[in-house]
Amino acid sequence: MSLNYMIPASKFKRYLPKDYVELVDYGPFGKEYSEVGTKNMGKYKELVEEHPMCSGCWMAYYIKIIFAALPNPEDTVTIGTAGCGRLAISQAAVPFIYGNYGDQNAMASGITRAFRLRFPDKQKDVITIAGDGGMMDIGFSMTMHAWFRGEKFTTIMLDNEVYGNTGGQESGMSVRGAVLKMSPKGKNFGKMPAMQLAITAGCVYVVKMSPTNINKAAKAIRRAIFAARELGPTFIHAYTSCNIEYSIPTPDVFRDAKEKEKGRFAFEEFMTDEAKELFTVVEAKKKKKVS
Amino acid sequence: MSLNKTLVDMNYLLKEAPREQHFITGAQAMAEAVKRASCDMAIAYPITPQSEVMHLVGDIYAQGHIKEYYRAEEELGTMSAIAGAARGGVRMFTATSGPGLLRGLEAIVSWPGHRIPCVLGVLTRVVNAPLSIQPDNIEMAYLMHSGIVMLHAENQQDTFDMTLAAFAITEKVDVYIPVSVSTEGFFVTHAKGYVDMMSDELAFTECDPYKAPVPAMDNEVPPARIQRDAPVQKSNFMSYLIHSVWQQEIWDCNKRAMKYIYEYLDGPIEVTNPNAKVMLVASGCAAAQAREANRYAEEEGLDVGFVKVRAIRPFPTDELNAALAGAECVIVPEHNIIGWLSKEVKAAIPNGGIVVEGPRVYGGMTLPVELIMTEIYDALGMDSLVLQA
Amino acid sequence: MSKKITVGPVGYMPQSAPSMGVELSPEGKALLYGNIVEEEEAMRDAAKALLTMDNPTIFPGPMVLWDWKEDVAEKSGAILDLASEIPGCKIIPMPDYRPKYPKIDVKAEINPNHPNLTILDNKIKACVFIGVHCHYANLTLRMIRAGTACYTVAMCAEMGHEEAMASIRDVHAADVLRFRDIIIEVRNELGIEYTTTMPPENPSLPKEDWGSLTPSDYGEYRSLIMSKKGEHVTAVE
Repeated sequence: MSLNYMIPASKFKRYLPKDYVELVDYGPFGKEYSEVGTKNMGKYKELVEEHPMCSGCWMAYYIKIIFAALPNPEDTVTIGTAGCGRLAISQAAVPFIYGNYGDQNAMASGITRAFRLRFPDKQKDVITIAGDGGMMDIGFSMTMHAWFRGEKFTTIMLDNEVYGNTGGQESGMSVRGAVLKMSPKGKNFGKMPAMQLAITAGCVYVVKMSPTNINKAAKAIRRAIFAARELGPTFIHAYTSCNIEYSIPTPDVFRDAKEKEKGRFAFEEFMTDEAKELFTVVEAKKKKKVS
Repeated sequence: MSLNKTLVDMNYLLKEAPREQHFITGAQAMAEAVKRASCDMAIAYPITPQSEVMHLVGDIYAQGHIKEYYRAEEELGTMSAIAGAARGGVRMFTATSGPGLLRGLEAIVSWPGHRIPCVLGVLTRVVNAPLSIQPDNIEMAYLMHSGIVMLHAENQQDTFDMTLAAFAITEKVDVYIPVSVSTEGFFVTHAKGYVDMMSDELAFTECDPYKAPVPAMDNEVPPARIQRDAPVQKSNFMSYLIHSVWQQEIWDCNKRAMKYIYEYLDGPIEVTNPNAKVMLVASGCAAAQAREANRYAEEEGLDVGFVKVRAIRPFPTDELNAALAGAECVIVPEHNIIGWLSKEVKAAIPNGGIVVEGPRVYGGMTLPVELIMTEIYDALGMDSLVLQA
Repeated sequence: MSKKITVGPVGYMPQSAPSMGVELSPEGKALLYGNIVEEEEAMRDAAKALLTMDNPTIFPGPMVLWDWKEDVAEKSGAILDLASEIPGCKIIPMPDYRPKYPKIDVKAEINPNHPNLTILDNKIKACVFIGVHCHYANLTLRMIRAGTACYTVAMCAEMGHEEAMASIRDVHAADVLRFRDIIIEVRNELGIEYTTTMPPENPSLPKEDWGSLTPSDYGEYRSLIMSKKGEHVTAVE
């Protein structure tokens, strides 16, 4: 049973730092989602606590949601690439692979297949979490081909519409006309249609959203993970603003996310018939458990 | 393994298991080695001349000798997926050549630092431009500074034995970095030669991902909060120091591979007539031609010796020094324009001035034995044109 | 016997032990100062160091800290037995390999990316590493040799470590207990009187003093307990 790798050897428990003991005693590992999850955030030891993201970072907030939403954190591996996001992801108490530039979906293809070979009877969730640059620019080919191949893992794009970590350069997901570094006269083409690309490439569940509602965001993440286990690739395109590069005052970050929700990040959810059927079963089971 | 194979250790497989002679190409030899390696997974991408290796590996996947196989989008995708799968605890193989190797190089050079055990076949090819698919081993120069262990096969038999040994070496706890097996495209990959092979009902012991210097990323082994390749890019002395000792560790691993090259492959060099005045030093296909030149010289009664270099990394500095101690001239024939081997040899011995940089052929040119003979005659102060006539 | 690998600090840019010609010991042998010796010789030298140098510490790594394999219980018990026979010995764990953010608690743990912080702060002059994956053990041991004056002992389940002053390979619980016996033997030889004492528990563990909490202790949840406009809170519960 996987959980063993995070249970302290009984003799050593009193010699471990508090942080680890609490993670085991009060963390989400091996617990029912109803006991932990996004609804109980703040009441249990979360997987991401301290992180070095900027004050008011919407991406850091969304990353906390991702980890709180995991259906099976003790059997999850996350993969990321260069970018702000991984500064917080790498602080989570879940194994994290940081490879080369934009290689997350190729890496995930390999590890997902390795897990299915080694653990045919066990579900291990693989999730790639990367920015718009890592997913749609430098990692574009590897992202798309993993989807075309039908690789069974979840892809989450943290779209801040800019290269935040390298100092604010134009990305393929920046909007037309955006004046950024490397687009001094304004970007001369629009946002890449990530959602349509994902659907075309064969993702079985695709969501575009501005995650202003924690539970709605968590539901999408969990659906994406459940569908990836059984059916095929899934994709979440989430708006996670860069308040530094787009000069959004910290108190206005939420307002900005709300505004985007009314505009280009209006909630859209695509699912195949099989996915729909699966969610009906999975979500009914959950309800039954709760009652 | 779905086929009922008998699993044995590498020493038995390479040295004791009865062998039968086959007449096969270098590409077949490499695939036959993979067949006996209990390889879990191979990822392929087409390129000439290696494509045949990965076609054949596809065939042995279809026959059940390996468990998983797919054609990736391109080499960076291939090499990255290998890094993912190996972290997941499975035994990996792929092969590439020339431009493909360079396309995958970003991932490949990060394998040692990420402690990825795997075997990489390099079927050498010209690097563009202009476009060519012909043999030339210049791409090996790019691998030499990556930390990866590099073996260079002279012929089909070497290709078979080295590929098998590579699977054992790469997973040693004190090595655990990738091992590449290079050989010349077409000259070896597409030409047939005699290869002594053990039965394919035998296979190397299966991969144990927990006998490793780093934890497998499989949620089965502690620690839980793990990022194997730590982000250490902060601008402070501790970050610089961890990166430095990490780099040292990779080259130490490379160095530790030497004892296994002795164990499985009889050492990094093979020496004929070590005390000769003129010594030929060569690797890969050039070694086959140098071996032939050495035979000519012997027939002509000339004082010539021959060193075949099997391991490019770790480089056999001590061994070469011993073999070349009495030489007055060292000739290094090569299949590339920059002469990476002659530069290595020059730097390895105290009297590097005695190294003749050549003869070299490239762009697909063959290496006639006569070119090497001319250098031998020159070195011995003989008038080569008259002698050859 | 010339010592190839000695107690540091060896300086700004350490040379790795393998690059200095040190090779791992064959099965059944150990390494002492970079030389291949009998296991007992290495253990006796290590015992002497742990008994005579300041602040001896055992650093257990993930493979013995977490209950992932059958032999962990036995091995972790043996490690505590060993610690209990070394006067003043502390146990400071290395629970994982990620660099600590934002700051390591050097009294509570050690990390392979910056091990010298823990060694220097606690003024540790002799230590044992056990249960650490080899890659991280090598990095750690080299950084300790580079920047601190600490005698390092590696008890490795695999092939040992060139960087340690004393390196014991293929270590199982029985080997840890054998080392404990040698510690007792050497301790008696040195005339050190001692009664078996368990090392102190992790200093980060004692209960928090809830009475002295201030809003800043609540970090990002601070806003939840801050007073509302016009509300005056005179005491914190």
